[in-house]
Amino acid sequence: MWLYTLKRLLQGVITVWFIATATFFGMHSVPGDPLSGERATNEVIRANLEARYGLDRPVTEQYFIFMGNMLRGDFGISYTQQNREVNDIIREHFPVSATLGLLAVLFAAAGGILFGALTALYRNRLPDYIIMFLVILGISVPSFVFAALGQLSLVNVNNVLGFSILPVAGWGTVGHMLLPALVLGLGTMAYMTRLMRSSMLEVMSADYIRTAKAKGLSPTRIFARHQLRNAVMPVITVLGPAIAAITTGGFVVELVFAIPGLGRYFVQAVQQLDYTVIMGTTVFYGAFLVFMVIMVDLVYSWIDPRVRLQ
Amino acid sequence: MSALLSVDNLHVQFATYGGIVQAVRGISFSVNAGETLAIVGESGCGKSVTMQAVMGLIPMPPGKITAGTAHLRGEPFLGRSHLNGKAICGDEIGMIFQDPMSSLNPTMRIGDQIAETLEVHRGYSRSEAFARAIELLELVRIPEAAKRARQYPFEFSGGMLQRAMIAMAVACKPSVLIADEPTTALDVTIQAQILDLLKDIQRETGMAIILITHDLAVVARMADKVAVMYAGQVVEYANVDDLFAKSSHPYTLGLKLAMPSKESDETHTLQPIPGSPPDLFSPPKGCAYCARCPFAMQVCQREDPPAFTIASDHRSRCWLQHPQQSRPVSGLYRRTDEVTA
Repeated sequence: MWLYTLKRLLQGVITVWFIATATFFGMHSVPGDPLSGERATNEVIRANLEARYGLDRPVTEQYFIFMGNMLRGDFGISYTQQNREVNDIIREHFPVSATLGLLAVLFAAAGGILFGALTALYRNRLPDYIIMFLVILGISVPSFVFAALGQLSLVNVNNVLGFSILPVAGWGTVGHMLLPALVLGLGTMAYMTRLMRSSMLEVMSADYIRTAKAKGLSPTRIFARHQLRNAVMPVITVLGPAIAAITTGGFVVELVFAIPGLGRYFVQAVQQLDYTVIMGTTVFYGAFLVFMVIMVDLVYSWIDPRVRLQ
Repeated sequence: MSALLSVDNLHVQFATYGGIVQAVRGISFSVNAGETLAIVGESGCGKSVTMQAVMGLIPMPPGKITAGTAHLRGEPFLGRSHLNGKAICGDEIGMIFQDPMSSLNPTMRIGDQIAETLEVHRGYSRSEAFARAIELLELVRIPEAAKRARQYPFEFSGGMLQRAMIAMAVACKPSVLIADEPTTALDVTIQAQILDLLKDIQRETGMAIILITHDLAVVARMADKVAVMYAGQVVEYANVDDLFAKSSHPYTLGLKLAMPSKESDETHTLQPIPGSPPDLFSPPKGCAYCARCPFAMQVCQREDPPAFTIASDHRSRCWLQHPQQSRPVSGLYRRTDEVTA
């Protein structure tokens, strides 16, 4: 088990290195640089600035400098924001995205497993049809539509009640998190519902469920102790990528709800070719994704004993 | 003395897209304590469906029990989950299945799976039940039972899994054990061990065994009584000696001829039964075996034969057993005149 963990971690480090390298050279191959703006910069000033930031050196040399700094945990200073270290940006804004993302995944997983199991148990009956219709809706409607609709309904509810049950936008309290997290998790919830449904249907017709029935166990016990654990496997597999995707992909929802998350900086940096911020956020997000996948694999082997010995 | 478990005129059908399958068409049998009843027949003849219907394991819908009764110690229990405060499934009747590899929960420890039955039916605490599970594993002769109880099914071999299944099924000391082809997925030496184990447990506890199989060698080794099934009906019902020595149905004869024997002389060649079983979407009007029967007569196509009594406790569904039928058929045993119907 320890060897397995170690192996996975090593693989993860290699993956992150690969992400960093690919991003670095990809980024430098884009025409322009952080210094090219709308107005032309004086040649002399430009040369001075390039020398100041080391942009005049060959790209490979820049790469090794960057790698050296990265290993020391230093991503440098933003080119476009005054006196801000990339590490500060991440430190300040990532926890916001992560909190929102984790809460969203929690909604998604809980809802997905619950609704998926329900649809399987009520297969081809009314609850199944209703939930599966909503699932199609959840998968096909983009999150900003849900975000706007969610805000609108919340405003109406608050108006009717005469007081505010939940804030419509902003950040700070648990109340601020609920609606955006729900909106952010809807798509994944829909996807997980489908996954759970098919997996549950497979488990329900398994031989060992027949054995459990022959043992005289109640349907509730069979569901809780025999079906759920076996059916939840595929859902857990997608949990890692889902956490990463939701945490990093919440940009639009963060914008609609005026949440100070990291996503905004990520997108801005790409638009402005802010090299250090691009590298910092990409490598950080990449490492986060890899770490989540590894975590899920470890949890998976804890739930399914068959994976442990391989 | 009334039988421990009896099933009368059981009919089961399944609604499918292709129509209604009449899987079981009027089955009757009974078994006494300490006795072994073998139910024999080829794939799809309704052996497993019959026993699963008795246990209430058939998914309804699509399945449906359209007629028939089942009694345990004289009391009807079909469609009930409990009888006199005891659960039918797992408590009064234990059941083991064909493929032990897929019949055990892959993510649960063997010991927990055995203990579960005791927790549910006997109200044991978790640790009590687990301790008892280890004893049961010892009973079914699994070495290092305490260690094995903490392992998962994928760490067991097929034969050991079947032993664990037996331990699970007999945990609550059931009065009847239904074994649905318990040795089909195992190799021959393991088969013998499993069958011996079943016999030993039966001797100790006095439970009745209903053994579903398609293997006549297993029947000869294990059974006291035999029900030969064909196309959802019992075509011949007899004690084991009479079934082999006084076979009274052409299908039983056919099965015997298709069975390999120890004498490998040239006179004994295996003879397969030609053709295939009838379509149970629309069972034939007459005898279901008619199309494959070498002795078929005109009446066989027109009318389904009733169960003729050959001797007490020996019945055959064949028109050749009609008292007024005297066509000579080699190898077929006929009712002698001394016995009255």
